[in-house]
Amino acid sequence: MSQPLILIIEDEASLRRFLVPTLANNDYQVLTAATGADGLAMARSHNPDIILLDLGLPDLEGGKVLQSLRQWSRKPIIIISARNQEKDKVQALDLGADDYLTKPFGAEELLARIRVALRHATQAVLDTPVLQCGALKLDLERREVSMDGVPVRLTPLEYRLLEALAQRAGKVATHAQLLNEVWGPVGAGQTHYLRIYMGTLRRKIEPDATRPRYLLTEPSIGYRLNVD
Amino acid sequence: MGHHGTNPLRSFPLSDPSPAAAAPILVALGSEARTLRLVHTGFRMAREQGRPWVAVHVEVADWETAAEADQARVWLQEAQDLGAETAWVRAATVSDGLIEEGGRRQVAQVVMGKYRPLGPWDRLEHSRAQEAIQRLLGVRIVAIPLDTSTVRSVQSGADLLGVVLAIAALLGVCTIFASALFTVVGFPGIPPVFALGVGFIAHRWGRAFSAPASLAAVLIFAFWFIPDPFPYQPGDWTNGLYLTGALVQMVVLLVDRLHQETRALRRREAETLLVMLLGRALGRCSTARDVAQVLADRLHGLFQAEAWMLVPGDGDTWLQLPEAPEAPPSPCPSELLPQFSDHATRPEPFEPLFMNACTYVALAGHGGAEGLLQLSLDRGRPLPQESWGLFQSLAVQGALALERVRYLEAAQQARLDTESERMRNTLLGAVSHDLRTPLAAIQGAASSLLLPEQLPEETRLDMLAMIRDESERLARLLSDLLDLTRLQSGTIRIQKEWQLLDEVVGAAVLRMEARKGPLPIRVDLPESLPLVPLDGALMEQVLINLLGNAHRHAPDSPVELRAWEEPGAIQLEIADRGPGIPAEFHQRVFDKFFRMPRDLKDGGVGLGLAICGAIVKIHGGAIWVEDRPGGGARFRITLPLDGFPPAPFETEPLLPTLDATP
Repeated sequence: MSQPLILIIEDEASLRRFLVPTLANNDYQVLTAATGADGLAMARSHNPDIILLDLGLPDLEGGKVLQSLRQWSRKPIIIISARNQEKDKVQALDLGADDYLTKPFGAEELLARIRVALRHATQAVLDTPVLQCGALKLDLERREVSMDGVPVRLTPLEYRLLEALAQRAGKVATHAQLLNEVWGPVGAGQTHYLRIYMGTLRRKIEPDATRPRYLLTEPSIGYRLNVD
Repeated sequence: MGHHGTNPLRSFPLSDPSPAAAAPILVALGSEARTLRLVHTGFRMAREQGRPWVAVHVEVADWETAAEADQARVWLQEAQDLGAETAWVRAATVSDGLIEEGGRRQVAQVVMGKYRPLGPWDRLEHSRAQEAIQRLLGVRIVAIPLDTSTVRSVQSGADLLGVVLAIAALLGVCTIFASALFTVVGFPGIPPVFALGVGFIAHRWGRAFSAPASLAAVLIFAFWFIPDPFPYQPGDWTNGLYLTGALVQMVVLLVDRLHQETRALRRREAETLLVMLLGRALGRCSTARDVAQVLADRLHGLFQAEAWMLVPGDGDTWLQLPEAPEAPPSPCPSELLPQFSDHATRPEPFEPLFMNACTYVALAGHGGAEGLLQLSLDRGRPLPQESWGLFQSLAVQGALALERVRYLEAAQQARLDTESERMRNTLLGAVSHDLRTPLAAIQGAASSLLLPEQLPEETRLDMLAMIRDESERLARLLSDLLDLTRLQSGTIRIQKEWQLLDEVVGAAVLRMEARKGPLPIRVDLPESLPLVPLDGALMEQVLINLLGNAHRHAPDSPVELRAWEEPGAIQLEIADRGPGIPAEFHQRVFDKFFRMPRDLKDGGVGLGLAICGAIVKIHGGAIWVEDRPGGGARFRITLPLDGFPPAPFETEPLLPTLDATP
């Protein structure tokens, strides 16, 4: 793949000033737009490989921009938002955003999120049925989970939860998405189901359940299967 | 009318050492006005003996009217307000109910009313019930005399038989006595004796029995004392007959009149009591909504009617409180209110109005009418006129409570304004120092990096790292300030969800370690901990602040985090082996911008613990610090386990392994 094209829709000049050279220096082509309307127009004309979208734009609500983009584009979108906008973030993720970054963030975090999003975009599903992250091995075909080669016995729901996280390995999965994928419509709003099963899953997988390495909590938003 | 259940203060004992040690006192409550005496006796005894107490009402099947049940609820509520646990028991007889409830709670004493017995059978029945309670529970019974009413109503056939026999015996005694008197003074001795006897009957059992008794007295006179009643012969005997009849009737009427007055007095007494109790309940209200709820509950108890308060809302709107979907529509109060004060059409300006199947009265306090009280009796009946006075005096109480609530809010607002002014000043002071220091470092480093002279690589990297660190510090300070302002201004709406503590602790530890590298934090959370209702993001902040503090003051020794369950609450403890916190600062460390003298140089601004305090407070919990035995500080948090925990799960079988399948 040649240099991926990134569109940054962000109204604050200082943030663009930091983002553009950082990304350019890491072999990405960069386009910028300062308003939602400009951003939508540029997304149509250039069809970027990935979009960084600020939720607090002056002209359009970030959620509206996201909805317009998702009507025709399936390219990864990463939300940039301030702290304390958890509701907006969850809404954006449920509307189809791929991931989010909370201001202020460092360059490393930004690059890692972009890498994960691009990897997911190029392989619609996992390219191998086996996911290996650290000592955790998940074989989706044989429905087997092992830690350091030692099989881990899971219940059907625990397995489905781990599988749902693995489908988005590295990306955040919201409570609503996980509940829907594991429990279906009856799970809606029953976040404590998720918490209890995540607790038992952690006790089986994590070496130290209070310092999770694989199953990370994104407070108020959801969970992330850590692949680094 | 959900008056049952336990007092919220009791269901969440924060620092209650062991109330279970003392056996409770059981107080049996009836529904009469005098029952209040039992409530107060129970309260006093419980306080004197240092025991908990339980107020119990026994509902005897098919015996109690709805009004009596409502009244009993009022007394139970009163007992609950005085710290009692309350229970509503259904049983075949009162003593059965008391024995069952007393046995279940292992009570130490039973307090009950001593009613004036109806007759000898009743007396026997009463003492037999008391004996049974005493024997079966093995406890002392304290019977408080309750002169409930002068006329005891007759409830059963056995009662009726008893009363009739008692009256017959009484008339018999009168006849014997009158006969004896007759032999001495002749016929003028007879009428007073019967008048006395029938008067006693009227006093004791009411008109229903005294009327037949007076007839019986006349007949006894006619057939017992007149030697040959038929045919009538005018003379002394006949005069005696008339005299007896007239005297007996007069006494009956007088006694009856006395009863009516006593009844009216009792009713007024009960009403005064109700208004007083209402005043007390209203005194505890802090919002208009509370006032409306208390009024609605009491009016329901009194008139079996639904009641709402119509009070001004924001702008031109009117609120109907308490909010209920089935509340009947009401005419616009701003149109209805002037009618109350229209002297031309209504001589009594604040008299209740009846319209659209509801009775209205103005909520008139010191400052004139502020709203309306709406009362809806079933089948759209108007409130009977004899209850208007009571209704009005309740409305006055409500209006005064509303006024008080409004003043309270104004005072609260004024206090908030002063507080935020003070906060602004302190903030300016803190900002000028704590924001400038990192800014100066960033500015200095950045400008040196921009100089044309090339700095040595090592210095350059060092300065860049400093810029990053200082800006992170600024970001933290800023978000702390924002958090605290929002927490204290009440703009943060807490989102409690049932969470595993493991997860919140895990997220906090992970975020700390991402910033500072691996930390010596020892976590001890039992797997049996229940789900806890909390706001994950906020509580994570509390843990980060506490763990960060502990680590800063004791960087080399492990910080220990433990949690355990107690009845109705979760306890959390974060303990370090640092220098500890001197006792005189145990309270003040939770103040905004407070820093202990020895920490003035460490770069903090004194917001971390203030944030912890604010967050724990909006969770309805408590946070405090104590000296850790052996040295160091120990922060303790207690969080209430309130609300309804989600239903437990069924456990699932494990997935079969592929190899295991045949």
